[in-house]
Amino acid sequence: MNPILVLLRKDFSLLLKDRTSIMITFAVPFAMIYLFGLIFNVNSTDSGPSGIPFAVVNQSDNPAAAKLVEALRTEKTFKVITEVKVDAKTTRPLTEADLRPEMRADRYRFALVIPKDVIRNDAIGLHLKIYSNPRNDIEAQMVNGILQRTLFSNVPELLGQSLQARARSVIGDARVSRFNGSIASAIAREFGGDEAEIRSRIDDGNFGFDRLGAGSGTQSAPTAGVQDVLSRIVKIDTEQVAGKDVKSPAATLLVGGWAIQFLLFAVTASATALFREKEFGIFQRVLSAPVSRSDILWSKFLYGICLGLIQLITLFSAGAILYKIDIGGHLPLLAVVCVFAAAACTSFGMLIASISPTPESARGLSTFVIMLMSAIGGAWFPVSFMPEFIQHFSRLTLVYWSMEGFSQVLWAHATLAELMPTLGCLALTTGLVMGFSVWRFNKGRMFV
Amino acid sequence: MSESSAIVSARGVVKRFGTLTALDGVTLDIEPGEFFGLLGPNGAGKSTFMSLISGLRSIDAGTLTVSGAGVAAGSAKARQALGLVPQHIALYADLSAETNLRIFGELYGLSGSRLKARVSQLLEAVQLADRRKDLVKEFSGGMQRRLNLAAALLHEPSLLLCDEPTVGVDPQSRNAIFDYLEELNRGGLTVIYSTHYMEEATRLCSRIGVIDHGKILAQGSIEELLAQLPFEEEIRFPSLPETAALAGELAGNGELATVDGVTRFRPRPGYALSTFYTLTERHGLPPRLFTSQRPTLEALFLQLTGRMLRE
Ligand SMILES: Nc1ncnc2c1ncn2[C@@H]1O[C@H](COP(=O)(O)OP(=O)(O)OP(=O)(O)O)[C@@H](O)[C@H]1O
Ligand SMILES: [Mg+2]
Repeated sequence: MNPILVLLRKDFSLLLKDRTSIMITFAVPFAMIYLFGLIFNVNSTDSGPSGIPFAVVNQSDNPAAAKLVEALRTEKTFKVITEVKVDAKTTRPLTEADLRPEMRADRYRFALVIPKDVIRNDAIGLHLKIYSNPRNDIEAQMVNGILQRTLFSNVPELLGQSLQARARSVIGDARVSRFNGSIASAIAREFGGDEAEIRSRIDDGNFGFDRLGAGSGTQSAPTAGVQDVLSRIVKIDTEQVAGKDVKSPAATLLVGGWAIQFLLFAVTASATALFREKEFGIFQRVLSAPVSRSDILWSKFLYGICLGLIQLITLFSAGAILYKIDIGGHLPLLAVVCVFAAAACTSFGMLIASISPTPESARGLSTFVIMLMSAIGGAWFPVSFMPEFIQHFSRLTLVYWSMEGFSQVLWAHATLAELMPTLGCLALTTGLVMGFSVWRFNKGRMFV
Repeated sequence: MSESSAIVSARGVVKRFGTLTALDGVTLDIEPGEFFGLLGPNGAGKSTFMSLISGLRSIDAGTLTVSGAGVAAGSAKARQALGLVPQHIALYADLSAETNLRIFGELYGLSGSRLKARVSQLLEAVQLADRRKDLVKEFSGGMQRRLNLAAALLHEPSLLLCDEPTVGVDPQSRNAIFDYLEELNRGGLTVIYSTHYMEEATRLCSRIGVIDHGKILAQGSIEELLAQLPFEEEIRFPSLPETAALAGELAGNGELATVDGVTRFRPRPGYALSTFYTLTERHGLPPRLFTSQRPTLEALFLQLTGRMLRE
């Protein structure tokens, strides 16, 4: 057998005995892909944060306010708290005065107060007070977003009432009354229904959102109607997301990014293993056989490509199951991109090993550079989130180009010809970096 | 040089590491079938010389040929004829004994049933057949040493370079290794064996080169080497206050040296030992203080360098 193949097989034998490496190569990126998929809500029907403690104090007697509280209770993001413990057994309703001390004690980080004057006459909009202790920015934004969504979709009448109230204060009761009356009669004339009932609904700020849900005419459960409105509205949303998700751009980047990052760790570890083989005198033995230095380096290079191909295809398959990434029809091109990406990653590992004086410094340097490349290359979050000047640097990372290749194949369904610039970029990087590394290895002390 | 029959022929070989001259004009011939010992202390240049022969490093001056060809060429054929037992345990610790041997066999182009047979033969020969499936890292130091030796022999080389192959091996396994090497040597294998144990060199080697600071100080068979010593007997006694007077009287009758609290007296040729024992009686020193010894390589090394082989 060719010595390169012997050494390649040796590296795989070693990998099979090394549980840590297998974990880092396969299990850890899988866990990250799963976790970050949850965090970024990637194409999954049931996800997003849940059970965030959320205190609610309702001072208003407006029925819509009570409805809001109920709606918040059904929101799985929140664990709504409306009572405070007096002692071990008894509790009493929460008041606004309780919020500060409770929040300082970190019982919860978010609280909503619905004041008596939730509907104001002096301005459009609702008067709500939100207390927050946003230790975690992302959490705070998420909470705000979901609170808004709950408001708009579950209790639109609150907004309607606010519009009505504002109208009354600006144009006067009588005119608003006339306006509502003519609207009601117009609706009754055009769409049918009882004019008086429509009129009273409009006065209550209900512009008929709940009717949307009651398509089949069942009026028995008004809350179900509201729920349905919510689901209708959100459904429009999710349908858009799902429409894009057929191609799963987010999932593609998610899987590609984490896979590449940990592939970098794995192939760098394998290149750094050269130090151990040197230290053990294994190179003396191997090089005294009819084996050349370049055989050793080629075997490492091939190993990185094979490992990368296996790892990337495995993780994309996992992505296909988790996020419905459609890899089936694109397997050959995906494999091509994987090979080029893995080659670039391996050359990076070789570079690190060739310029580091010791395995420890190689480990330190590689950890730093891999994290940096992953962060600015878009493995952790989309490049578009980053300031423009950083985006320029993104293009200098092989993480970026690898992910570019993945999304070209899986999302844009690019042809081989369209992939050429990306593949060329990866190949050129690989060639230059490998050339430099081999030169360094031969000049340095690795093999002597 | 090509008409020389030597399997290894070194002429004024120089190897430098930066400013340090590790080998300083080494000239040696090793004939086919020899069991050649390279005896020297730490840092003498033994491993460096081995690495030059096996083509791992290039020489800075002089010429070095193995089987008639320059090693720099490093032809596959020359490598195929050579087996190296590195000073370190050069094995994959996370793989089994058998897998290790299989890999190194394959690197020498063995395959199929021949590879299988050789692996079994060698595991048998170094008494590891029953541990073949165990990982090397679970082996004792001595077992690893034996496997380290076996890994160099799979392809049946005609020249074996053993770089201190018995460090940390218990006497029993050591003897087993010696017996095996001697058997291979009788079968025609040329062995170059580096060590800093003169006992090993004495037992195994038909010819020895004494090396220190990169220079070959002496070479030849044991008899030839010991004949270089200007005395036939060496008497040792502890250097104590009560032996000081005796030592004073001995001066002039031979060579006297004290190293590590032991005084060595090497009578000049013709000096009668009876004279010596009369002297000790006169000083009232008990006979148990004195040991007399035939000269050894140790003594030769001391003679050549003024130092002990192992310091
Ligand atoms: N790679 C190297 N770089 C620099 N100096 C080296 C290198 N290898 C050996 N030396 C130096 O060359 C000299 C000879 O070393 P060598 O390893 O040949 O000694 P040795 O006789 O094998 O010693 P030991 O019995 O300790 O193995 C030493 O001074 C050593 O420090
Ligand atoms: Mg040595």
